[in-house]
Amino acid sequence: MIEAQNLSRRYGDFTAVDGISFSVREGEILGMLGPNGAGKTTTIRMITGFLPPTSGRVTVDGKDLFESPRAARRQVGYLPENVALYGEMRVSEYLAYRARLEGLSRAEARQAIPVALERCLLTGVRDQVIGTLSKGYRQRVGLATAILHNPRVLVLDEPTVGLDPRQIISIRELIRELGRQHTLLLSTHILPEVDLLCDRVVIIDGGRIIAEGTPQSLRESWTGNPSIRVVLKEAPADAGEALGRIPGIVGVAPLEEGAWRLECERGADNPVDPREEVFRAAVANGWTLLELARERGATLEDIFVRLTTHDAAAAETAPQAAGTPLPDEPEVVS
Amino acid sequence: MNGTLATYFRELRAYFFSPLAYIVLFFFLVASGFIFVYIVSQLNDPRVAGGGPPLGYFFQATWLILLLLGPLLTMRLVSEELRSGSIEVLMTAPVTEGQVIAGKFLAALTFYAFLWLPTVAYGLMISAYEKVDWGPVAAGYLGVMLIGSLFLSIGIFASAMTRSQLLAAMTTGALLFVLFLIGIFEGLVNNDVAKKAFNYVGLFNHIEELSNGIVDTRRLVFYLSGTLFFLFLASRALEDKKWR
Repeated sequence: MIEAQNLSRRYGDFTAVDGISFSVREGEILGMLGPNGAGKTTTIRMITGFLPPTSGRVTVDGKDLFESPRAARRQVGYLPENVALYGEMRVSEYLAYRARLEGLSRAEARQAIPVALERCLLTGVRDQVIGTLSKGYRQRVGLATAILHNPRVLVLDEPTVGLDPRQIISIRELIRELGRQHTLLLSTHILPEVDLLCDRVVIIDGGRIIAEGTPQSLRESWTGNPSIRVVLKEAPADAGEALGRIPGIVGVAPLEEGAWRLECERGADNPVDPREEVFRAAVANGWTLLELARERGATLEDIFVRLTTHDAAAAETAPQAAGTPLPDEPEVVS
Repeated sequence: MNGTLATYFRELRAYFFSPLAYIVLFFFLVASGFIFVYIVSQLNDPRVAGGGPPLGYFFQATWLILLLLGPLLTMRLVSEELRSGSIEVLMTAPVTEGQVIAGKFLAALTFYAFLWLPTVAYGLMISAYEKVDWGPVAAGYLGVMLIGSLFLSIGIFASAMTRSQLLAAMTTGALLFVLFLIGIFEGLVNNDVAKKAFNYVGLFNHIEELSNGIVDTRRLVFYLSGTLFFLFLASRALEDKKWR
């Protein structure tokens, strides 16, 4: 549905986007991931036709954005990062204005407006003045205008930024719902969102695509050896060394007091599971085993941080800088 | 067409919802009312020599208020969209810059006409006491509409250049003032060609002619082409925002 070929955008000497190519297939939800300032918004603005690219081209549904801009734009619904609305208008009036702007006839608008209100759960505030609405509602008004003309493609730039957790959940549900009927391009720097919503991901940093694939395939390609977390009660000093001698363990990393991460050998087909051995070793040595759990492989967050970290200092701050509200406990899968 | 109409109705609404528009309306009514009363009292004063149609003098004096109020009418039109970012969803809709600018201009012109609407009452008041020749009055209204179009198009151009309403108003004010000064220069030069040139762009002469009922097509061409020129510049300015 969307084909971006070799898109570049320079602002003076600064190259914001540097030769990005990707495509969004019909019916899929593509997530565009990247730290702040990676070039996501610039890329999105080029795809929606707001910014002309310095070089490269974009087609939407086969229509070139600069040769036939109006036909191409008609197929796109766009929710920008900052949803700017006209504060003095009522919600339904604003939608009527947008419908006219999109070229809908009166009859079409009469049909489309209640549908958009309904789908974005705005029916209750349809007569309210936009200036009095909360941020979450405004975001939904923005979404309602994006779907008003029933475009085949929706482009959403950080749709959940600045919302409270409950609003985030409701907007995400709405996005998932919209994803069933539209092709969706979603930009975000919030990682769980990608895992939850997207069929495919492109990771952008420094204006280039640095990784691309399904969340699953990205995770697999970046996962290192499987590991086990062990916690012992009143462990002797040499316990770590003893753990390292267990067959199947290739590395031992001490964590907090009495806890270790054991890196396991990776078998060709079936990963070795040395938990039994660890248990036996504990019994043999008389350790009290408090915890023994297999750790999940790399999360998208790990991959993201690894890919987008340029130096050691940045490594410390990267997760915060990327604004990832992730639990810092690794998830335990037994 | 859709883009122009949608923009037109939305901007017209915005005028009637903005306090600034009412302040402009208020000051215009007070100032024009004062001018009217002053003209009538002077014409009725036996000590003051001369005479003439009161409404003719009225147009010649009242348009000067527009030098101050004109910039206030247009400063918001594009700047506010640039500042708030609503320009992004506007320009990604299937509309062109020209349509958007045209819609905004027509809305401003409509509100401007609305400013002048109450002054029709002055003509009716005069007609209660003496016979009014309505031809020159109509030409006078044509004149203020022509001057208004030019002023508003200059204002929209300035507004499309910046996201700051204040800057837009100040730029417009400066441009209008230059235009106003050019008319005065006519009396300061001796060269015939220069006199002619200044006369061609001298707003004073134009409004004087028109309010006396002389409709010269050169004036029509001057104002309409000037208006189109600035509207064209405005749409280019808006387009240019993308390329930087």
